[in-house]
Amino acid sequence: MSDTQATGFFTDTTVCIGCKACEVACKQWNQLPDDGFSFTGRSYDNTGALNSTTWRHVAFVERPVPLEGQITGFGDFSWLMMSDVCKHCVKAGCLEACPTGSIIRTEFDSVFVQPDICNGCGYCVAACPFGVIDRRADDGRAWKCTLCYDRQRADMIPACAQACPTESIVFGKLHDLKERAAQRVDELQAKGLTGAYLYGADATDQPGTQGLNAFFLLVDEPEVYNLPPEPVAPGNKVGASWRSLAGAMAGLVLVASASVMSSKVTR
Amino acid sequence: MNAAGNPPGHEPGSPTYHGLPAIKTPVWTWEVPAYFYAGGAAGAAATIGAVLQVLDGEDSARLVRRCRDLAALGTTVGTALLISDLGRPARFLNMLRVFKPSSPLNVGSWILTAATGLSIGAAVLSRGEGPLARMGELAGLGAGVLGPPLAGYTAVLLAATAVPVWQEGRTTLPVLFIASSTGAACSLLELGDFDETELTAVRRLGTIAQVVELAAAKAVERETGRVERVARPYDEGLSGALWKASGALTIVSLAVDQVTGKRKGGRVAAALFGSAGSLALRFSVWHAGRASAADPRATFESQRA
Repeated sequence: MSDTQATGFFTDTTVCIGCKACEVACKQWNQLPDDGFSFTGRSYDNTGALNSTTWRHVAFVERPVPLEGQITGFGDFSWLMMSDVCKHCVKAGCLEACPTGSIIRTEFDSVFVQPDICNGCGYCVAACPFGVIDRRADDGRAWKCTLCYDRQRADMIPACAQACPTESIVFGKLHDLKERAAQRVDELQAKGLTGAYLYGADATDQPGTQGLNAFFLLVDEPEVYNLPPEPVAPGNKVGASWRSLAGAMAGLVLVASASVMSSKVTR
Repeated sequence: MNAAGNPPGHEPGSPTYHGLPAIKTPVWTWEVPAYFYAGGAAGAAATIGAVLQVLDGEDSARLVRRCRDLAALGTTVGTALLISDLGRPARFLNMLRVFKPSSPLNVGSWILTAATGLSIGAAVLSRGEGPLARMGELAGLGAGVLGPPLAGYTAVLLAATAVPVWQEGRTTLPVLFIASSTGAACSLLELGDFDETELTAVRRLGTIAQVVELAAAKAVERETGRVERVARPYDEGLSGALWKASGALTIVSLAVDQVTGKRKGGRVAAALFGSAGSLALRFSVWHAGRASAADPRATFESQRA
């Protein structure tokens, strides 16, 4: 995939105002059902997490510490908001795990589940290091953000990015996004927000996924936003497991043979 | 350093987002651990049958036949369990529209499909005569070749997920599954009536398998215990109870087997304890994965370690 065609999201959490327009626009465009209108009682986040029918989720973090370089009128407090989404990993755990070939990489370098192929085995659900993809109980198949594959093919930008009023969600060519993100980090650091950094912008940043096509600008540790600190496509680690299985299989054949031979001696 | 993740009253450790899970809980239902047991025992039985066929020829005809029946039954039941666990069971065959080494589940589907066909072929055809019987013998050998991977690929399948307790046990889990599958097959075989030599072979293999199973379980605890939080499900909750019960049942099975020798009553008791131990082990590993996925600190701390 050439960088010129690869598209993605740059989500700048420092300008997110928590309006959830992205959640609504996504639900509306993709015709996703509601999740039951539950009330968490924890924060303004009543969505909780991404799932099979929620492909954008705004996290609300209330911290008893101020944001660096920011003065508040009411003591030590800061409010972080982040619109979470499928990361469209360069090395995607779900795509590697999918046994049917239902999950593919599109011409835009995004990761897409073909609904006409998916047989609902659920393996991608366990393989995603971000807890994004999930299986719908009413439908039996796995679903997640498509990076608006349909809209992109019609030269439209994804619904969430279009709805975002602050340009916290920026959609574009990956190359341009990375440039813009790097500039934004420099700008914030110059303003005193020294903790600002990019999460998953490239392979050096996040070797386990080889980088994310939907990456983020964060100002606190990833865990605070419910993001894993060092996510890894599980397939990266599985070589040792296959080798161990090979040893155990040889052991089984050897011990079985020895048991049979030694019992023959007594015959 | 942030102060956000740990409001007063929360346990120490890595920060979390309101304590919510960082990854999804596997959607698999009870059919999956039940399949791990049935498919595993079937794979080991097919292997034992083929080894006997090659090394002992006609002398163990009865035991070979029992192995083939067990393999045919286990693979058939296992396939049915797997299909019923799918969100879209009618699309099971989509598993076979590609061959994809990066997906242990895809590789396993091919192994299971071939092993099921060969095991049924061996069990049915070898009851015939002439060329049919010879085809049955060949199918039995083929099933025997696929037996070991069938008995153990499920451990690799679990290791290749984002679930901390499965991923962090990736080198020891395959040994545990192979040993437990072999023990399970031997237990089921010991329920039958065989001659002295056949019984000796099955009991010897079964004893070794159960000893290795106990050792491998300790090794899994050690490997996952690299990060204390990750190994916790093998100690606490339903998965911990099943894990300990599995160990105890296996020890009781070994003890009964050693004390009662080849007497039928003792053999049946040992076989039942052994089967229960192996079954409990699969359900423990499955429940451990669910508990591990629900614990965000297990996810975070395994990555920070």
